[in-house]
Amino acid sequence: MKIIIDKKEIIAENNKTILDIARENDIYIPSLCNHSKLSPYGACRLCIVEIKGRKGYFPSCSIFPEEGMNIKTDSPKLKRLRRNILELILLEHPNACLICGEKENCDEYKSTIRKVSEVTGCVLCPSNGTCELQEVVNALNLKSIRFPSLYRDSEIRKNDPFFDRNYNLCILCGRCVRVCHEIRGVSVLSFVYRGSKTTIGTVLDWNLHELGCQFCGACVDVCPTGALTEKSKKYEQSPDRKERTICGICSMGCELEVEIRNGRILSCYPRKDGPVNEGQACVRGRFALKEIVCHPKRIHYPLIRKKKKLEEVSWDEAIDFIAEKLKTYKGSQVACILSSQVSCEDSYVFQKFANNVLKTKNIGTIAANPDLERFSQKSDCELMSNFRIRDISKAKVIFLIDSNVSVSNPIIWIEILKAVSNGAKLVVIDSLRWPYSRQATICLQIKPGTESYLFALIAKLLLGEEQEENFPNTEYFNFYREFLSKIQMSEALEAIGIEEKEAKKTAEILNEDGLKYFIFGSGFTQYSWGISNLTSLWNLSLQTQARVIPLTFESNLKGVLQTSRPFSAMKKDFAEIYKIISDGKIKALYSNGPIPLYSKKSIEFIVVQDSFMNENLMVADAVLPASTFLETEGTFVNVEGRIQKFNKVIDPLGESRPDWWIVAQLGKRMRGKGFDYKKPSEIMAEIKRKIPEFKNVSYNQLKKGIEIFINHKETGEKREEKLTPLKLPPLLMDINEEYPFILLFEYNSDIYRGFVLNREIKGMKLIRNSRWIQINTEDAKKLELTDGESIVVESELRRFKGYVRISEVVPSGIVLASFLSNEEKDFSAAHMMFFSGLKTLPIKIKREC
Amino acid sequence: MTEKLLTKHFGTENLFRIDVYLKLNGYQSARKAVLEMMPEEILNEVKAANLRGRGGAGFPAGVKWAFIPKDVQKPKYLCVNADEGEPGTFKDRYIMNHNPHLLLEGIIIASFCVGINTAFIYIRGEYEMVAKRLEQAIAEAYANGFLGKKVFGSDFHLEVIVHRGAGAYICGEETALLESIEGKPGNPRLKPPFPASIGLFKCPTVVNNVETLSNMPFIIAFGAEKFRRLGLQNDGGTRIFSVSGKVKEPGIYELPTGISLREIIFNHAGGIQEGKRLKAVIPGGISAPILKADEIDIHMDFDLLIEAKSMLGSAAIIVIDEDTSILDVLKIITTFYSHESCGKCSPCRIGNSWIHKIVMRIKEGKGEKDDIENIIRLASNMVGKTLCPLGDAAGMAILTIMEKFMKEIESCIEN
Ligand SMILES: Cc1cc2nc3c(=O)[nH]c(=O)nc-3n(C[C@H](O)[C@H](O)[C@H](O)COP(=O)(O)O)c2cc1C
Ligand code: SF4
Ligand code: SF4
Ligand code: SF4
Ligand code: SF4
Ligand code: FES
Repeated sequence: MKIIIDKKEIIAENNKTILDIARENDIYIPSLCNHSKLSPYGACRLCIVEIKGRKGYFPSCSIFPEEGMNIKTDSPKLKRLRRNILELILLEHPNACLICGEKENCDEYKSTIRKVSEVTGCVLCPSNGTCELQEVVNALNLKSIRFPSLYRDSEIRKNDPFFDRNYNLCILCGRCVRVCHEIRGVSVLSFVYRGSKTTIGTVLDWNLHELGCQFCGACVDVCPTGALTEKSKKYEQSPDRKERTICGICSMGCELEVEIRNGRILSCYPRKDGPVNEGQACVRGRFALKEIVCHPKRIHYPLIRKKKKLEEVSWDEAIDFIAEKLKTYKGSQVACILSSQVSCEDSYVFQKFANNVLKTKNIGTIAANPDLERFSQKSDCELMSNFRIRDISKAKVIFLIDSNVSVSNPIIWIEILKAVSNGAKLVVIDSLRWPYSRQATICLQIKPGTESYLFALIAKLLLGEEQEENFPNTEYFNFYREFLSKIQMSEALEAIGIEEKEAKKTAEILNEDGLKYFIFGSGFTQYSWGISNLTSLWNLSLQTQARVIPLTFESNLKGVLQTSRPFSAMKKDFAEIYKIISDGKIKALYSNGPIPLYSKKSIEFIVVQDSFMNENLMVADAVLPASTFLETEGTFVNVEGRIQKFNKVIDPLGESRPDWWIVAQLGKRMRGKGFDYKKPSEIMAEIKRKIPEFKNVSYNQLKKGIEIFINHKETGEKREEKLTPLKLPPLLMDINEEYPFILLFEYNSDIYRGFVLNREIKGMKLIRNSRWIQINTEDAKKLELTDGESIVVESELRRFKGYVRISEVVPSGIVLASFLSNEEKDFSAAHMMFFSGLKTLPIKIKREC
Repeated sequence: MTEKLLTKHFGTENLFRIDVYLKLNGYQSARKAVLEMMPEEILNEVKAANLRGRGGAGFPAGVKWAFIPKDVQKPKYLCVNADEGEPGTFKDRYIMNHNPHLLLEGIIIASFCVGINTAFIYIRGEYEMVAKRLEQAIAEAYANGFLGKKVFGSDFHLEVIVHRGAGAYICGEETALLESIEGKPGNPRLKPPFPASIGLFKCPTVVNNVETLSNMPFIIAFGAEKFRRLGLQNDGGTRIFSVSGKVKEPGIYELPTGISLREIIFNHAGGIQEGKRLKAVIPGGISAPILKADEIDIHMDFDLLIEAKSMLGSAAIIVIDEDTSILDVLKIITTFYSHESCGKCSPCRIGNSWIHKIVMRIKEGKGEKDDIENIIRLASNMVGKTLCPLGDAAGMAILTIMEKFMKEIESCIEN
């Protein structure tokens, strides 16, 4: 449609606000409460405009165009009104600096005096220079304020990790409230009180960390003033440069902007135009990353063990030492563990080295979902990258299964929430009840491990002749039908622990038309019958033409798996590697991955290539300091198969070097061929030649923002995969009087290489401590346990320690521990799992004495 | 004696009991509407009655109902506005307390007409006893089969739920009211969309005042024609005027629409106390700009009052005598608005609190020369620029006082 803004004829889309349209056409209208990613709010009233033929003034941020609308955005009168309104806003905001006649020269004369947290003017404010209020004051050329100003004298909230809240600077634009509610689905912030006492706050003014805040930082990023500020940046000066890169912690691959001053990282922001994250991130990338990179546990020098002690040596000496040692082992005596958080280039070189130089077939990565790999191979389906994150918001039906998605895959959660606000039905299936599940249309809290029954039951409820055509193979359809007909409704319901009407409602939802997604997390395959769960879900997805999305966690699991293609060995998982090691055949181990090793067993020589000191150093014979992804460049493949280029942001810390460089040095020293790489782009050139999936990849293209995906199937393509025969697992977990609880594990990416974020970073420990053992309120009462108490979790085989965390996430009878709960000298949850070969365990809980 | 249709039976003992109400032909209109009439017919009748909303804005009820889209899958809701927060207004309380079944009948008629199966009565938190009475009446209506699954034995299904507010004036504003029922802080929403298309829980919603709905039984029983004849042609029926302030007989008076303000004050409410002189009148609740003593020969008609730069609002008449200082009036008004602004939009939140601060300072005898100019500037900053009508109304009410009583205020500052 056509509208007129300031006498200029403009073709306007009807779903954009007048403010947005004006901006696109380079017409400036001051605004404060508006934010392009949030719903119109209309509170600050700075953006008022006049519309010809209508009485009064209209907030352009909340008005949509109508054919022929004639809008005036600027006139002496509007200017005056806006100035008046701005003046009002400034009455309750420290304003001395804003209207100071000397402000242009101020920077020159003052050194940093921002060492107080009480802000009484811009010069003392962490947002000085980036504040939108300053911008608007300048744009409106406001020079004086005709009233005495008022300092609210609101206590500064400093008890939370990562950011402080100073409501003396707040202009009540409500952006923080809206982003937390609309985009993150957390809703811990709210307006409290009313009238002139209105402020932003939390329930009963509790701290954010007590209320389920995820510390995603979204509120800090949308705050136009200095009211919400990152703690660690508060007293810093402005950055001297900004670099963009990709976060390499989890599988989302958020694009970040890193602010640097004098080679030091000041802060990491999600970029608004990040193709995956569109301005969002999570606590790991937004706040923790900076702490991770410069953590005191970083390893700065190569170390080798001399007389029982690790000693700093030069690179030359370390490489010589290791090369000499490794030469003495046969390929079958060597095992390699590869991190899934290194780049494609690192991974390729590492595997080339293992394969061509060490000549070992024992290469494993911490693939969190080995069942998935196996299933994909067996049923000949490509499960790994068959979707795009952006398409999730278009779904009509989403099943979210066994996943703490808002923590493990935050951006996917944001897209799910978008779908939900567009009217999609969300079915949450989990024996645990995560906080996000209140957004669900229906929430099936099933007994642990009964997923395959549930999906078979729903399949049975839905099965009709017309679905036959969804099955490529009639013969199997008949078999499937017969199999389903044997399922007894009442028995199955009892086993699953849900009511008939819940099952029927779920089936009804699934029967609706439109795009459907089955998204599952690590919990889904954590049982020894993970494959049955997968099969059951897979068959249901064929029957209903839904898409199956397995969530992955590490930043480059997909890239690591893809770069293993030219090499015969790979894809050994955690458990397999452990088994090989415990069989005693392995004499030398080379690891750049995070597998915790507590004893050498029969291994004679261990090389650890990592960025952080951890328990593995106790057994290592040589330690090679690897740089983090902020200190080098390369590519990651995220959860949807998107290949992204990350960039070098700072110089390597100490003597640390990129993984590819270290391995290439060793390769050369051990007379391997083709290790003369000078930079990662040369490695990528080789990968491109060797692996067809990468044939389109080029750093230049990626830098330009061209989107490249691996193995992508377009959403909406007809599914042609085969049905897979299903065997239902045993129903009962072996709990008994002695071991009355079931232990489940939560897996996510609160880890970077050998560094467990929620163990090492204080703020993260406050929101999800890796040592928490979550117990239901009732169970805790019965066992007379209180929050924070030390306890021991014991199965028949192993035990580990932790702290009680009384929680509503777990139902009675279930206990939840973090997969990353490994503690020095202690057995980790992961160990317990792998040594027993079982992934869910009957356990008992004892108070530690 | 004019005919009364709302307060007619108020004298009857135990009128709030359903048996008493039934003896007075109670529920006949609702029964007739549900069993004998088509929704279209009812709508036409209500439209023809020219019944204008009694909550404040005076929007014609029939037109409002007709805005509700017909073919939607979503449920539709009725929200009865019983928040009665406008200072000076106390008519809805009388209706609900004395004759709750009249309101319920109106609810049944409206709901049946629009195709609504759930009605909320949003009642102000302070009306605890009234809420109890309503609940009791609702229980009686359910027991008699007038509410619930089969209303009067028909296929029509209607649930009525009483929802108590928590003491915020702004929750009387229709969209803030919806937010509040949804369990959120009571802040007004942006309009459009209007509640008729996106209302409670994002569904089409009718919001009507208690008195508006209580007129329905009469309209159904006696027809639009008769209703209109009771009052003005374009604003049919009677109105309950809540008269308070320095009159001899404050209270509620049900009188035809369009009656003159002077007549209400001097003929019905007994004139000014202690033979004092009239100074000013606020004709439609505190949000209505003040009228001076020489401006009261005006008919209580929406349009005429707007012409006089005031408004009929909730028809709450506050009478001010010569002994009352205008500064006290201003103090009460500004205290109210600075306390009751929802705090969402900046001109209203900050403007009201600052005007209040200045007025309080003048009250303390510390007035300054440019105070008047500042109050006027702050108030004009609200008019037409706020998100909801609260800020607008506050601005207008204050500006009018400043304009009409400038001299008196100036002398307050000087002394
Ligand atoms: C600030 C404010 C307060 C209001 N308070 C009330 C109230 O207490 N009761 C009421 O019926 N309407 C009140 N209204 C008017 C309602 O918004 C709405 O117009 C009315 O409930 C519609 O009903 P009606 O058409 O039957 O009058 C208020 C409006 C505003 C702007
Ligand atoms: S950090 Fe995230 S979750 Fe916490 S209050 Fe801010 S937006 Fe909400
Ligand atoms: S804290 Fe910041 S984002 Fe939140 S309302 Fe205040 S100014 Fe706006
Ligand atoms: S950890 Fe994942 S979600 Fe968080 S910022 Fe990094 S890539 Fe994004
Ligand atoms: S005018 Fe006042 S009450 Fe209305 S939205 Fe604005 S602040 Fe709230
Ligand atoms: S930006 Fe439009 S009202 Fe604030």
